[in-house]
Amino acid sequence: MTPAFEKLQKHLKQLPGLGYRSSERIALHLLVEKPAQLPALVAALEEAARAVRRCTRCGNLAEEELCGLCADERRDQTVVCVVEHVPDLVAIERSGAFRGSYHVLHGKLSPIQGVGPEQLNFGALIDRIETGGVGELILALSNDVEGEATCHYLTEYITKGRDVKITRIGFGLPSGGGVLYADSVTLRSALEGRRSFQ
Amino acid sequence: MRLRSLTLRHFRNVGFAALEFSGRQHFLLGANGQGKTNLLEAAGFLTALRSFRTSDNKLLVGHTQHTAAIAAVVEHERQGETKITIKLRHDGKELWCDQARVTKLAEYLGKFPTVVFSSQDLQLVRGSPAGRRRWLDLTLAAMDPGYLRALQMFSRALTERNALLKTGRAGETQLAAFEQTLAPAAAQLIALRSSGIKALGATVKSGYAKLCDDAEPASLVYEPNFAEADAEALLARLEAGRARDAQFRTTLVGPHRDDFQFNVHHTAAKDFASEGQQRSLVLALRLAQAAWFQEKSGVRPVLLADDVLGELDPVRRSRFWSAIDHEAQIIATGTSLPAAELGTWQIFDVADGAFSERGAPREAAL
Ligand SMILES: [Zn+2]
Repeated sequence: MTPAFEKLQKHLKQLPGLGYRSSERIALHLLVEKPAQLPALVAALEEAARAVRRCTRCGNLAEEELCGLCADERRDQTVVCVVEHVPDLVAIERSGAFRGSYHVLHGKLSPIQGVGPEQLNFGALIDRIETGGVGELILALSNDVEGEATCHYLTEYITKGRDVKITRIGFGLPSGGGVLYADSVTLRSALEGRRSFQ
Repeated sequence: MRLRSLTLRHFRNVGFAALEFSGRQHFLLGANGQGKTNLLEAAGFLTALRSFRTSDNKLLVGHTQHTAAIAAVVEHERQGETKITIKLRHDGKELWCDQARVTKLAEYLGKFPTVVFSSQDLQLVRGSPAGRRRWLDLTLAAMDPGYLRALQMFSRALTERNALLKTGRAGETQLAAFEQTLAPAAAQLIALRSSGIKALGATVKSGYAKLCDDAEPASLVYEPNFAEADAEALLARLEAGRARDAQFRTTLVGPHRDDFQFNVHHTAAKDFASEGQQRSLVLALRLAQAAWFQEKSGVRPVLLADDVLGELDPVRRSRFWSAIDHEAQIIATGTSLPAAELGTWQIFDVADGAFSERGAPREAAL
């Protein structure tokens, strides 16, 4: 192996889900087996790095100030579904059961992992609530200890004294699991069966 | 259930061993340090994927090896013949039941019950509360998924709350957020421990009466750190204790500090009972555990007697022998053959991590 190859492999290995072997295989694939595809990939990476950012309102992926969902006037912007990560949002969108908007926290409270309120996208949520227009928050966080704690934090701190209805999905979700691992049917019934949370 | 075969690879000092069990009583015979207990440890591992000797699975993987493996074929009251395969690595373990990978402890814990009788058990009476809590948690969680879930929720919430306290700048709102999940799980644990100890205590009492002449009754007494099985009450206590918890940087109140005590004639056995009484108490506790497993699951546990038969005086031994379930399979170890009154055994000679069956069983086994 050459120094440049090893440098590439080292960077690939830091990606989630990739170990030594798989990063080696990908590096070989890119450089030796299919080098013709490489310029397109590099260009795509550069373009994405330049263009993609967080939606200033909800934290979803965006290329403008607002993401496609926040900019869509047909979506009910007064109903906000709070999720941990972007893939959770994608899973709920795929179920087709929800026509409101989202708020992506980019994590959940976990002192073990060093995640406190400052690390989460709470600020933008407070802004949304304070500028009015949020009637209901649907908490679609995982039903493990950290997800529950984040729900309690949201109700006690973010929405207390503000006129927002709070509901919690989780009904029918596998215990300890997250939104991402539920199928569309389960997600649909979880959304329809959402319950008032405190 | 009955263990039909047990195969070990690179498990502690056992490079390879394949034992086929026939009959109901099996005796592992050999000098100390040859590997007898290692085999019992592997059999006991089937119940909760945990060793009865160590919480460090690294110690189970043979020297200079990466992976240890346990494979067992059991005849099971509910599942029929089942093959269990466990692979242990320094950084984790994998489990298959009839070739299907099992990833959730809740789907497996307690399905294959075993009960270990060991000389170490005296520590259950004499030793630290942590050892008693470990025993209690395993005994209750193995038979009740609700207990396991409450225990997992509680432990996780406690770890998170303590991590927050360790930062030295834990905010009230964040503490409150984790207390909201901690308190209901804790209340559930307290209630289930209280009823569990009551039920187990009744069996300990009757078992102890069979093992001992003294007419003095034995009992188990739950000593909860926070006595009310009530989430609201615990929430209030946690809130009131935040400043103190912050100072000590850990959660001072809750079922993680629970204990239970063995009493003989209403006094603490730890302090006042003779060694003989203490030995009888832990035997009675293990008998109660076996009866509990069978009553709750309908599956008869395999009894694993580590050097116990040889340690008891003849009177106590014969009482113990008549107290155990004679339908249950028993695997025992010792440095000399068991007394004739204990029936016929399939015998394995154990030397330097190798097991060899001695001839054919002396008589046709049951
Ligand atoms: Zn958006």
